[in-house]
Amino acid sequence: MMADLHLLTVLVFFPLAGCLLMLPAWKCPAAARSLALGVMSGELLLALWLYASWQGLAALKPALPGYLLVEDAPWISAFGIRYTLGLDGLSLLMVMLTAFSFCIALAVSWRAVGEKVGLFLALLLAMETGIMGVFLALDLALFYLFWEVMLIPMFFLIGIWGHGRRIYSTVKFFLFTMFGSLLMLLAIIALHLLHARQSGVTTFGLFELIATPLPAGTQLWLFAAFFLAFAIKFPLFPLHTWLPDAHTDAPTAGSVILAGLLLKTGSYGLIRFGYPLFPQAAQTLTPLIYTLAIAGIIYASLVAFAQEDMKRLIAYSSIGHMGYVAIGIAAWEPVALSGSIIQMANHGVTTGALFAMVGMLDERAHTREIGAFGGLWGKIPLWSFFFLIFSMASVGLPGLNNFVGEFLVLAGTFTKAPLAAGLAFVGIVLTLVYMVRLVQEVVFQVERRPLPLADLDRREICVLAVLALLVVWMGVHPAPLLELIHGPVRLLTGGVP
Amino acid sequence: MTKADMMALMPLIILAGGSVLVLLAGAVRPGGYLYGLAITVVVSALAWTIAVPATVVMPGLAITPFARFFAVFLDSAGLVALLMATGYNKRRGIVGEEYPATLLFALAGMGAACAASDLLMLFLGLEAFTFAFYLLVAIERDSVRGGEAGLKYLLNGTLSAAVLAMGIALVYCSRGTLRLSELARQPASLEPLFLAGVCLILVGLAFKLSLVPAHLWTPDVYQGAPAPVTALLSTASKGASVAAVLLILPLMAGWRGGHDILWCLSLATMVCGNLAALVQTSIKRLLAWSSVAQMGYVALAFVALPAGGGRAAIFYVVAYAAAGLASFGAVSILSDGSDRDAIEQYRGLGYRNPLAGAVLAVALFSLAGIPPAAGFMAKFAVFSAALRAGEIALAMVGVLTALVAVFFYLRVVVALYMRPVDGAEAAARRLTGSEALALAIPTLVTVVMGVYPSPLLDLLARIMG
Repeated sequence: MMADLHLLTVLVFFPLAGCLLMLPAWKCPAAARSLALGVMSGELLLALWLYASWQGLAALKPALPGYLLVEDAPWISAFGIRYTLGLDGLSLLMVMLTAFSFCIALAVSWRAVGEKVGLFLALLLAMETGIMGVFLALDLALFYLFWEVMLIPMFFLIGIWGHGRRIYSTVKFFLFTMFGSLLMLLAIIALHLLHARQSGVTTFGLFELIATPLPAGTQLWLFAAFFLAFAIKFPLFPLHTWLPDAHTDAPTAGSVILAGLLLKTGSYGLIRFGYPLFPQAAQTLTPLIYTLAIAGIIYASLVAFAQEDMKRLIAYSSIGHMGYVAIGIAAWEPVALSGSIIQMANHGVTTGALFAMVGMLDERAHTREIGAFGGLWGKIPLWSFFFLIFSMASVGLPGLNNFVGEFLVLAGTFTKAPLAAGLAFVGIVLTLVYMVRLVQEVVFQVERRPLPLADLDRREICVLAVLALLVVWMGVHPAPLLELIHGPVRLLTGGVP
Repeated sequence: MTKADMMALMPLIILAGGSVLVLLAGAVRPGGYLYGLAITVVVSALAWTIAVPATVVMPGLAITPFARFFAVFLDSAGLVALLMATGYNKRRGIVGEEYPATLLFALAGMGAACAASDLLMLFLGLEAFTFAFYLLVAIERDSVRGGEAGLKYLLNGTLSAAVLAMGIALVYCSRGTLRLSELARQPASLEPLFLAGVCLILVGLAFKLSLVPAHLWTPDVYQGAPAPVTALLSTASKGASVAAVLLILPLMAGWRGGHDILWCLSLATMVCGNLAALVQTSIKRLLAWSSVAQMGYVALAFVALPAGGGRAAIFYVVAYAAAGLASFGAVSILSDGSDRDAIEQYRGLGYRNPLAGAVLAVALFSLAGIPPAAGFMAKFAVFSAALRAGEIALAMVGVLTALVAVFFYLRVVVALYMRPVDGAEAAARRLTGSEALALAIPTLVTVVMGVYPSPLLDLLARIMG
């Protein structure tokens, strides 16, 4: 019954419809904002409704084992490309995160973006379509299409509404990601052809291709191409250099989406496509992934400690946090993988919130330099309170969300690779060092520059309160989310659902 | 000639006759209505080609599904170029009946080239439309650049015509026939004279396709010619030349040397075209080098001919033509009034002239091969054909040069939307209906082909059988 409603298609293309509707509202910012708000909150409601009814959907036992909803139709028969969308627990978590992050992005740019509002919101909506597509596509060609499509709006978002060296940053971002993607495209086509040669079936379907037996050498090359694309998005050291620039120069909404979602597409891709398609090659490269992830965690923490720009500091902290996600994936073991997936959502919420808060401060003080602030606790207590919460969450304070993810990752990894887990643990201590420095310098200490700062207004309080509640809820009671991803994780790691 | 032959040939007759008609009408009463007349002629040729699906073979010409597909494609390109030229020529003071008449003649020549069934007709068709372009490139009489471009094109073009003619003569010497179908029947070993002839023909066509190293005329001619002429030259003439290459390639099927020559041409074209485009500061030159580079990917499809490269080549050239028409059309509008040519001068034009700016951006994304534009599907088709043919190295080069291309296409997009406008300029004028149509058609084709390429791909699969 529910499969007939094409809910997944609606989920993907509803924002695009909103983007097209933006054309008549071009000239009127207020109308454009209301339209975007309507579409994005509609999308969020749909995602939440799917979440509320996921157990019912699972009981219906749709076509693919472990999936809640599947849509499948021929698309480009000449190439064997199909329009296949599928929703399982993992996708659903990412879909919720996407819908939620876009609402946050809209809320934080409500006043901050005053120029070309229609274009800005149209791009946001177009990007939402692209990201939803990435998280739902089960056909490799379709996945690649969405993977590329989501870049274009981000390119404009940073380039038009960014700060500082925005053009340099946005072009760098675009070229880095394109580089990885294009090689992945070749690998996708090669895999498709190898499968066609063996079985005579031309298909890009994930589940057909998973079954393709590949010689070890070929598998390694193909996995390397996929891994490169995902590692750039992740970003893993040393492919991370686009991230600090892009984050620093992006408008606040752009940073929220970059940190919250675009980085997740890399880890999601590795979980959904990279490891299942090339299990032996992934095993072979696992030590490399551990090394890069740990090097990234330590390097990013050290660099973050030296940053003067708050946004840049949080950008580097992102690299560190995503390192834990990479470690959990590399362990490829149920507990660690669950930890990674939970950590993806956690990082989206926490880092998104931190970027949003820095954006709010920047709007007031027109600077993000750590040295300019100090003693904000006394001046803007509400802002300081929320900042403290999110910083503590970012550090991994027990009871807040990041702790759950990091704990699971480390606990799971410890059984497979004790050394990697041990080194990653050291990384947590380093995170503590730079975050404490940030909080201490900005929130406490004495005022260094007399900046006229107003505390949060009602809209900002609402946004941050929702985020803070989520941080606490995911930290105290992660069981529902873990249950949601339990089935997919079991399936991915080779168990039965 | 039977009645059925006449019916099948009617589109060519309409175009050639229409060309004469426009010339005569212009002599009696000059005026802007001649463009309307020419548009009517092209539309009726188009309608006839679509409505009367005749397959007829006669001496010299074979109206096959292949020829009819190219006729529709080239006539549509011609239609868009005419719509574009209507307003542009009036503003630039290019008056007279020569322009529409020559353009119709060029379309007739292209149609004949694609329908050729022997080498002589192929030569006639190719040279007929090249001849028309000699005139069109230099049609702006007061423009120094236009004159220079015309001369360069003429010199290069006659050289290539000479090479082509020599090649045909050698083939005839060796086999005693000009029929393509007979020439494609391979004897056990290919005679050297025949191979030399085929290679010369290929060189002649490489000029027309501006494959490196026969590409040197391209940037100067594209920059000097009026924008609507460049639009047609860079798309339809390339399309007709691709058809000609596809007609010639069966002659050297199974000869490893032919594969190697195309391999080198493709490699050199992709690398040189994309690298040279990186350093351009003029938008027309950038687009010219980009069109050189794009032909490298078409050559890659030729290399992969046994693995379905023919379909990929045609799909690619159609996608490229749509983007090319859109980009040159947008440039013709954005540059009008002034001789705006430097990329720097395109700052902020995306906001001043939203439609033309957006069209240019979509076209550039398509040329860069970024979805959901048609260029992505085209690159997808070419790369999968190349990998299927086992050309892994060349496909890798193609992908890496495509990345270089992304950079220079983005430069224009950055200028259009992200650089601050210096000084307040007068608001852009409203586009006329024909200009808006000339921009909308190729853009729509670009988007539709990118999102739903199935119908075209299936059609091409049937044509290439």
